[in-house]
Amino acid sequence: MKELSVVGKSTKRVDTSAKATGEALFTADLSLPRMLVAKVKRSPHAHARILRVDTSGAERLPGVRAVVTSGDSTGEKWGVFRYTQDQAFLPSDKVRFIGEEVAAVAAVDEDTAAAALDLITVEYEELPAVFTIDEAMKPGAVLIHEHNPGNINVHVKIDVGDVGKGFAASYYVREDTFSAPEESYFQTEPYAVVAQFDNSGNLDIWMPNAGPHLKAKPLSNLLKMPLNKVRVRKITIGGAFGGRSEISPADVICALLARKARQPVKITYTREENSIATRQAHSMTTTIKTGVDREGRVLSRDITCHMDGGAYSSTGPIATSVPFLCMEQAYRMENVRYNGYRVFTNKPIRGMFRTHGRAFACGIDLQLDLIGSELGIDPVTMRLRNARQAGDYTPTRSLVPSCGMTETIEKTAEQAGWKEKWGKLPPFHGIGIGCNSVQTGFPMGIRGGSTAFIKFNEDGGATVISGVVDNGQGNENMIVQIAAEELGLLPEDIQIITADTEVTPSDPGSYSMCETFIGGNAVRLAAIDAKEKLFQVAARALEAKPGELTARDRRIFVKGEPERSIPVGRVIRMALSKGQSIAGEGSYWPKVDPRREWVENPFGQLSETFSFGTTMVEVKVDPETGLVDVLEAWASQDVGFALNPKVIEGQFEGGFTMGGQGGMLTEYHLWDGGRLLNPAQLEYRLPLAPDMPKINSIIVESNDPTGPYGAKEAGMSVAMSAAQAYVSAICNAIGAPIKEYPITPDKIVKALEEKKKKA
Amino acid sequence: MRLPLFQCLSPRSTKEALEILDRYKGRVKIIAGGTDIINRLRQRLLSPQYAMTLKGVSDLRGIKRKKGHFLISAATTLREIVESPDIAGFAAAIAESAGLVAAPPIRNVATVGGNLLQNTRCLYYNQSELVRKAAPPCLKQGGKSCAALKGGTRCFSVYQGDLAPSLIAFDARVVLKKAGLARTIPVLDLFSRNGRHPLTIGDDEILTDIIVPIPKGAYGSSYQKLRLRSGLEYPLVSSSVFLSLSKEGVIDRARVVVGAVGPAPTVVEGAAAFLVGKRPAEADVEKAAESAFSASRPIDNLALPGSYRRKMVKVFTKRAIEGALLSLRKAGA
Amino acid sequence: MEKHRVTLRVNGEAYDLLTYPHRTLLEVLREDLHLTGAKESCGEGACGSCTVLLDGAPVRSCLLLAIEAEGREITTIEGLAAGGKLHPLQEAFVEHHAIQCGFCTPGMILTAKALLDATPEPTEEEIRRALSGNICRCTGYAKIVDAVKAASAGGRKSG
Repeated sequence: MKELSVVGKSTKRVDTSAKATGEALFTADLSLPRMLVAKVKRSPHAHARILRVDTSGAERLPGVRAVVTSGDSTGEKWGVFRYTQDQAFLPSDKVRFIGEEVAAVAAVDEDTAAAALDLITVEYEELPAVFTIDEAMKPGAVLIHEHNPGNINVHVKIDVGDVGKGFAASYYVREDTFSAPEESYFQTEPYAVVAQFDNSGNLDIWMPNAGPHLKAKPLSNLLKMPLNKVRVRKITIGGAFGGRSEISPADVICALLARKARQPVKITYTREENSIATRQAHSMTTTIKTGVDREGRVLSRDITCHMDGGAYSSTGPIATSVPFLCMEQAYRMENVRYNGYRVFTNKPIRGMFRTHGRAFACGIDLQLDLIGSELGIDPVTMRLRNARQAGDYTPTRSLVPSCGMTETIEKTAEQAGWKEKWGKLPPFHGIGIGCNSVQTGFPMGIRGGSTAFIKFNEDGGATVISGVVDNGQGNENMIVQIAAEELGLLPEDIQIITADTEVTPSDPGSYSMCETFIGGNAVRLAAIDAKEKLFQVAARALEAKPGELTARDRRIFVKGEPERSIPVGRVIRMALSKGQSIAGEGSYWPKVDPRREWVENPFGQLSETFSFGTTMVEVKVDPETGLVDVLEAWASQDVGFALNPKVIEGQFEGGFTMGGQGGMLTEYHLWDGGRLLNPAQLEYRLPLAPDMPKINSIIVESNDPTGPYGAKEAGMSVAMSAAQAYVSAICNAIGAPIKEYPITPDKIVKALEEKKKKA
Repeated sequence: MRLPLFQCLSPRSTKEALEILDRYKGRVKIIAGGTDIINRLRQRLLSPQYAMTLKGVSDLRGIKRKKGHFLISAATTLREIVESPDIAGFAAAIAESAGLVAAPPIRNVATVGGNLLQNTRCLYYNQSELVRKAAPPCLKQGGKSCAALKGGTRCFSVYQGDLAPSLIAFDARVVLKKAGLARTIPVLDLFSRNGRHPLTIGDDEILTDIIVPIPKGAYGSSYQKLRLRSGLEYPLVSSSVFLSLSKEGVIDRARVVVGAVGPAPTVVEGAAAFLVGKRPAEADVEKAAESAFSASRPIDNLALPGSYRRKMVKVFTKRAIEGALLSLRKAGA
Repeated sequence: MEKHRVTLRVNGEAYDLLTYPHRTLLEVLREDLHLTGAKESCGEGACGSCTVLLDGAPVRSCLLLAIEAEGREITTIEGLAAGGKLHPLQEAFVEHHAIQCGFCTPGMILTAKALLDATPEPTEEEIRRALSGNICRCTGYAKIVDAVKAASAGGRKSG
């Protein structure tokens, strides 16, 4: 690879100055002329038939400009997949969770909108409701959706090899059950939507999203408008973490109100609405039976997982599969059976969450510790013996083209001082390890590819046009670094237009961890395309062959002869003077198996490549209180290639904090039937600065053969491996397994009491 | 979300404030720091016609050293308490309590009076209407039965103020004024022990001052708080202990006060028996902490189970007694 | 319901406003003065996204009525950069990758500014404690602490 001048460096991000000054505009910051404020009327019942909605009182209130109910929508049901279309926004038949949208109002100010909501009367006929997986699956339980017997939404069934034979041949077999309630995203920016129609019937709409193109198509369907009239606009976004990829009722409601009122409309969600009426993570119970040989190599695994999906399908088939798929990527397992069930309950809707199933991942990993303990093998060795290797095929038949898993384990163990610490720490001190893997995208049919365009200014600057979206992780900066590198320009020469469905071509979005691999590759290819055209023109000027040229620091020059050079700007003007415009175009479509389907055919190449990571954590437990002091952490991931090391460290640190510190110590939801008792930050405890340990980031590079510059995915596996490391470390510290998460202090105290009783 | 509509009055003196309370009795709520009441307004737990802000009342702030006691005016901020060398020096547990409230930006405006007079809390009560209106009103909302202990007829909402246990441990008193009348009562008597109406202050009274007696001789104190993180949280359980030594070096007074287990801070009368009359080294910390455990019956209405919180009453009381003993030793006793 | 006339001094300038008393300082800053740097994230004073400086001290603007802020000096994030030049903290946050999605950033920077104004060379523990009331979901706080250290007197001395 040529020596890189921009990529691979921790350059300052292009978007952060505006955030530091407060200039960056998030959706709720937008102010349009004559803009109205909207509020949504929500169901107070977890399960009820809607008998009558009377909006007359609201419509008569001075200052109210529009009211919408089910009658204003097309009644079409939406679903991520054709076979999961089960949600009508503003339903007419029944409501299925407390907080479901029933009507909405747009008024001149928030006080009027709130007063108008109180004037809308809805008559319900309450129905029995189910709030747990057990209740939902009980024979005779009320059906939330008529076509889903037993309230089973999705059943993913994977059976590879011969699981029974594997167990029979195993030296040691054990079965454990793990569980965890749901977590929530708590993106710092609460959901908001602004919608405006112009007098040609074009819709401009802004909302935090993990893929504007993923929003535009459903909007086009649900509003019965052609795609070119639905313009999801670029906006600064305050976090996604796996959410915000799906169309939301708020999006459609805001557009309907704007259309009806003929004025722009803004909806801002309260924190409670963000927790109740967007998405949450799934609560889960996972039973894992694993058989190993004498050396601790897994011969057979049988996993059954029930997850509580809430009232609608959402990304059901994906959510039911990914927890398993991450683990089948991370570890070798020849014989494996997986039965994943997503079950409907009358609770808020569950979606994809950054830590894909803490009970699942922590279960697999803690079990490796427990097995190792029985066999006299330490946790690191257990991981090394089962680690995925490059060139392997996963059980569901994805080739793993590059894999630094072993390297992440070894490097982390070395930096953490594992050998010196394992088994040698003082009482109630522990050290633990977690390993995981992440896909770089999923098969997404016609939306699975990314395209980028590049245009030039006559003075040598360029603009990249790409559908890549930035939720805060640094994707915009990645585009600039890649384009600057290939074109031989400086980052400040590159402008970007991104994530705007009128202007930017389709891109799969950020939520499937594919922006670097797919979006980044598209930008790189577009830049290479432009560069080839530039080199054709420059070659004539420099009296050289295009193949002899290279570009750097705003000049194109002959390799090895820097004096034979020409500024990029001059090349562009030379081309223009000959009636030739220079522009770049590039597309990247990942080589995945288009026949792979989550439920019908869960086999074949899932994503073109995978990232792998290991986290280690050292903890101190106060045995009297059960409170955990996290002393230090080491987080590593094989990212393929670090496009911007500091940006990647930021992903490690953030993922560690969310998946580990929050996910394993303090984050969980409390319920009273279908009522969420901790929807906001006082009672849903997010990690704070004084509680975080020193996090040592270890970037491993396996140089993926097809990733841009060898890059794959920037750190998502750390959210999961951190969760696993916390469990491993805490159980090591107290000498007892804990299988219910998060590990709140009462669980530690209980585990220690039980351990004492057994002794 | 917007606050409910109300009219706001901004007195410039305590006298003016008292006149307003008298004129609008029952229809006006006081905003001191605002860090408790603004949230409850936003959640529509109350919707007064008038609000009266004390932020312009300059004669309600200040810590004054008087003969034998401190006079802390009620609108003194928690930050001022934390930064006061006097309070840190003479009433450690009170300074500790103040310093453990929430986070620095909250302490910049939160007042001692407001912290003391905060309403009781419960997972089932402190919710926005989106959550509350999806169930029948609980006892504290004026309904028929408790939502936390289904069917219960007593309100177990929790008093989670950090300052009160330490003020009580120091036998502090409060001055309550209304137009033409002032009364002084022990801090403990501010609490009715009834979760539905947890405070005994009248709706036409203002708490103007807190009197903290400066104990004579050698003494020590400590406040210990259970919270899951290093900030932002109300106590899940707390314990404040005051111990003083006679001239003979024997514990002659012990106050053990447990917080956040029920609608009012609890003075653990039984604990004193294991501490008073003993030399510090012979204090039966274990049994004193055990009696705090016995005196506490938290239920499952906060983030962690009542059974765990009850166990922690013992642990944190033990730590508070040990903390008080340590601070006794540091005082040169 | 009557509106109150109130003069707010924000970033050194006086604004005469007419507002209903139930509006918070956060709402008035964002909606009337279009200073959208302060944000609503939690609605209960728990997250710090709404932080402004009141006479130099960080406070939750979502817990203050606008009319209560009369007579005080209010500083928002928009008031930090002087004549187009970023405040050292803003520079440091950008330089040290302490900003990801940016939603908590204005509140975080203002709280850090108040810390450095009072304690020019804070220890790491003091920095973390000062920021204990500011929630960030993206960064895990690591680079935020680095940035504050770098912007502190000690950080700037050692370059």
